[in-house]
Amino acid sequence: MFKLNLKIALRNLFKNKGYAAINIGGLAIGLTAFVLLLLFVNHEANYDKWSPELKNVYQVREYHDFFTPDNKQYWQQINESRIAGVLKEKVPQFKYVTKASRGWGDGYSIKIDRNAPVIVKDIVDADSLFFKVFPYQFINGDGSTAMNEPNTIVLKQSVAIQLFGTDKVVGKQLKLVRWRSDEGNLMTITGVVKNPSASESLAFTAVIHTGEREKDPDQISSSNYTGIYAKTEKQIDTNVLNKTLLNVYTDYKKALLKARGETFNDFYKAKSRKPGLKVLPLSEVYSNPSFSENWLDKIKPIIALSIFLLIISVINFVNLATAQSVQRAKEVGVKKVLGAYKKQLVLQFLIESAIQTLSALFITIILVELLLPSFSSHFDVQLSFWHSNHLLPIIAQLFGLFVFITLLAGFYPAIILAKYNPVKVLKGNYESSFKGMALRNGLVVLQFIIAVTFIIGIGVMYKQNSYMANKDLGFDRDKLINISTNYDTDDPFVESVKRIAGVKYVATTTQVMGNTFNTPRELTFNNQKFDINAVTVTMDALPALGVKVISGRIFAKEYAQDTINSVVINQAAANLLGKNLVGKTFTSGSNKDVFQIVGVIKNYNNESFEKAVLPTIYKVTHLGGSSNTNNLLVRFDNDHYQSAIKTIEAEWKKVYPDFPMMYTSVEDSFQKELKPSLRLMQIVVLFSVISVILSLLGLFALSTFMAKRRTKEIAIRKILGASNLELINMLNRSFLILVIIANLISWPIAFILTRKWLEGFAYRIEMPFWPFAIATLTSVIIAILTVSLQARKAAVNNPVDALKYE
Amino acid sequence: MIELKNIEKYYANKGVKSYILRHVTTSIKQGEFISIMGPSGAGKSTLLNILGMLEEPTYGEYHFMGEDVTAMNERKRIELYRNHIGFVFQAYHLIDEMTVAENIEAPLLYKKIPGAERKSRIADVLDRFNMVAKKDLFPNQLSGGQQQLVGIARALVAQPSIILADEPTGNLQSAQAEQIMDLFKKLNEEEGITILQVTHSEKNAQYGNRILTIEDGVIKEDVSVNN
Ligand SMILES: Nc1ncnc2c1ncn2[C@@H]1O[C@H](COP(=O)(O)OP(=O)(O)O)[C@@H](O)[C@H]1O
Ligand SMILES: [Mg+2]
Repeated sequence: MFKLNLKIALRNLFKNKGYAAINIGGLAIGLTAFVLLLLFVNHEANYDKWSPELKNVYQVREYHDFFTPDNKQYWQQINESRIAGVLKEKVPQFKYVTKASRGWGDGYSIKIDRNAPVIVKDIVDADSLFFKVFPYQFINGDGSTAMNEPNTIVLKQSVAIQLFGTDKVVGKQLKLVRWRSDEGNLMTITGVVKNPSASESLAFTAVIHTGEREKDPDQISSSNYTGIYAKTEKQIDTNVLNKTLLNVYTDYKKALLKARGETFNDFYKAKSRKPGLKVLPLSEVYSNPSFSENWLDKIKPIIALSIFLLIISVINFVNLATAQSVQRAKEVGVKKVLGAYKKQLVLQFLIESAIQTLSALFITIILVELLLPSFSSHFDVQLSFWHSNHLLPIIAQLFGLFVFITLLAGFYPAIILAKYNPVKVLKGNYESSFKGMALRNGLVVLQFIIAVTFIIGIGVMYKQNSYMANKDLGFDRDKLINISTNYDTDDPFVESVKRIAGVKYVATTTQVMGNTFNTPRELTFNNQKFDINAVTVTMDALPALGVKVISGRIFAKEYAQDTINSVVINQAAANLLGKNLVGKTFTSGSNKDVFQIVGVIKNYNNESFEKAVLPTIYKVTHLGGSSNTNNLLVRFDNDHYQSAIKTIEAEWKKVYPDFPMMYTSVEDSFQKELKPSLRLMQIVVLFSVISVILSLLGLFALSTFMAKRRTKEIAIRKILGASNLELINMLNRSFLILVIIANLISWPIAFILTRKWLEGFAYRIEMPFWPFAIATLTSVIIAILTVSLQARKAAVNNPVDALKYE
Repeated sequence: MIELKNIEKYYANKGVKSYILRHVTTSIKQGEFISIMGPSGAGKSTLLNILGMLEEPTYGEYHFMGEDVTAMNERKRIELYRNHIGFVFQAYHLIDEMTVAENIEAPLLYKKIPGAERKSRIADVLDRFNMVAKKDLFPNQLSGGQQQLVGIARALVAQPSIILADEPTGNLQSAQAEQIMDLFKKLNEEEGITILQVTHSEKNAQYGNRILTIEDGVIKEDVSVNN
């Protein structure tokens, strides 16, 4: 029976090759997007799952407000270093506690023998217990002793090969230079570990043991921050443990604050802060970043898009299957009379959709393999399919998807078919048993709602993106580069750069696109308190950026006062403080330092357009404290500055031979800020095009069926004197109404969705009208063309043929 | 074998009942060959469909081999199709996607007959109907008469106790029709299969041993034929 049904299914597929191709191909496209997403989700969900032992590894998180974007408390991955010692002593469940943190900045320089130094990113500085907690597999060296001595380093296999060309490097030495003027340490390689099979939240190229992580600051008033990881004997109930941790932490904080001459109450209650310490299973670390959205929230729009695409292709499938069912009516009727149970018939048709789904899945797998490289590079992830180390779960998921799609696409048509009444069918009464008309119309409307919404989405996103790309940023971003380095006063390197031909300004600031560090500060003006953002700059920073002065002046050498207490404010700050501000003063800080406003500048964007420019004061003076964030701006006076950069690099090499110079152009930083929304738009464009094509294919196939079904009617009407055009119009009408209904529904949906997207930008366009008009026009025109193509064929046929055939 | 008592069938349209069958009472014995005659629209097909349990009477009693059909559940009814009833249609109603052999095999599959027996039974009927050479053809590659032969072969292969045939020769030329009628007669006489056919042809009706005439839903005449 199964064999015979299989044969019938294949014969039917062959008989209706065109529809089968549309069905299977459409489904394959919808599935491809979904499977790519599935691979991505698998990749993201598999962080820190490369060893079963990691189930017993936990990350410690302290609830504090040090180094947060807005001075509020967060569950942070960096903890005060003394906590590690306290945990070792007070929490017996922890077998090992290790302190490990990635270094600050853009990487460390590694120099091997006389070779040129290379920057290596993601070097973790850890104490001697690191490999007791993290079960990395040592290819060379001994994990139990590798980190015993200071100045030792353990390399990942891939990095060892990259640096030395081999992983047999234990015993060799290399020089580690952590910032440009660092003397450097000679480190001995004590081990090489295998690259694990899944991603790591604490990804590293190398682990160094400097000995610094072993110690806490001597002075009780200073603190050091580090990541802390603990390993337990067996898996534990974190809820219970976290209660213990909070008690331990509270006791510790009380003692510490007392030693510092503060009280627990003053520190927490008075400032409405809360003490907090907890552990997170390592497997949850990646999905719970301290400050930003987690990956799942970030890809939500894409998840929605691919689900919509899948829906569209499943709809095609259902529509075509039910439309085709007329052809199968007789088979159903006869089989019922021969004694088939309804269940058997449902199963038969489900098997037929299973065959089609399986073929679609097969094509999907090929498409995924083909698309994976470009998909991976587009999303900056390393995805793999056949070579994935969790191939088994992925195959299980694909099987689940297969069953789900088969049921989703096949169940309704199967039921419709199996329900045919044999008497009606065998009387030749197919027309009246042509079921599912309303549903099919509903599904066509749904498809077009999705497609039209996509098209409108493209229009709105295109407008917003071109607005952002062309927006006046309030500063001049070309001929400007940012060298990643600290700035010292009277820095000899900076002085030499200033003398290079073509260099106009050399300056530093904590606020530049690509690397912005905001320090919140409270000031008192006219007896009123304001929260404001403070930026430390050098004298030339504002001219180097090319900001626009609204009133007063910006800093200049001629004014001695500028190094004492002058500040420049931006328009946002001026709006906050009032009018006629130039010359006015305000106080700030615990010493009530007095600052004088000398000028107001136009707001300039230094972060992505999602964020509004903060009310900001700029100051050169160190009065009230200053900060420094590795930005050295160099503005050139002409477009051919590549040779000037060469000269700067040569200068750098003279002074800092062991640390390579790193820089980016501010234009690149700007493009990087635009990237996320551009990327989203590209995906929406791709998905829209596919969804429109799929919807049209569906409409095309459906209208073919309609035309076929109405051949006799058309023939009779023709004999009665209807013109071809009138007949085409007749066939078009029913579909046109559907497409127009779909447009009416998608307008508000698209409006709400795109407005929500636009609201994510502090700088955005007004809702444009033309994408709506264009989407409607395109959908209507394309639908008419598609249907007419079929209708024409039916209409121009010789009516006599059609009637004879019937 | 079959007992009908006061069978009525009507369709209610806007409160008006239009009767298709009224007061149909008759009995059919094992081994009879009955022809149903009557003008178009008289209700012949409806009666046949009710006998074949494809339609339900609105009122009345129907016993098939001693069992009350009106009280029967769907599953039981399907069991009867499988084991006792074979249908033959005017429009043949072969499944287009199946070959001749496959069409004949279909009812056996539903009866869960094991593969070896299926093969031998199919071979048997093909042989008997002289269709061995055509067994791998599809219905649209056959003439109307050949298609109807396959239709009968399909009804026969499941070894039913009764064959219900609605104008089996309605689409055929007289030579072909004669062949079908001879076949029916042979089956009836040699194998004792009960046959119930609807026909418009006086001549075809003579092949059977009883003629029921229906007009306006009522049995007008019930005569035996002696041949
Ligand atoms: N579903 C239905 N609704 C209303 N009337 C019906 C229906 N099916 C059949 N009829 C009517 O029943 C009558 C008998 O039909 P039928 O049994 O097919 O006649 P025939 O004797 O020609 O085979 C016809 O007049 C037909 O119009
Ligand atoms: Mg009839």
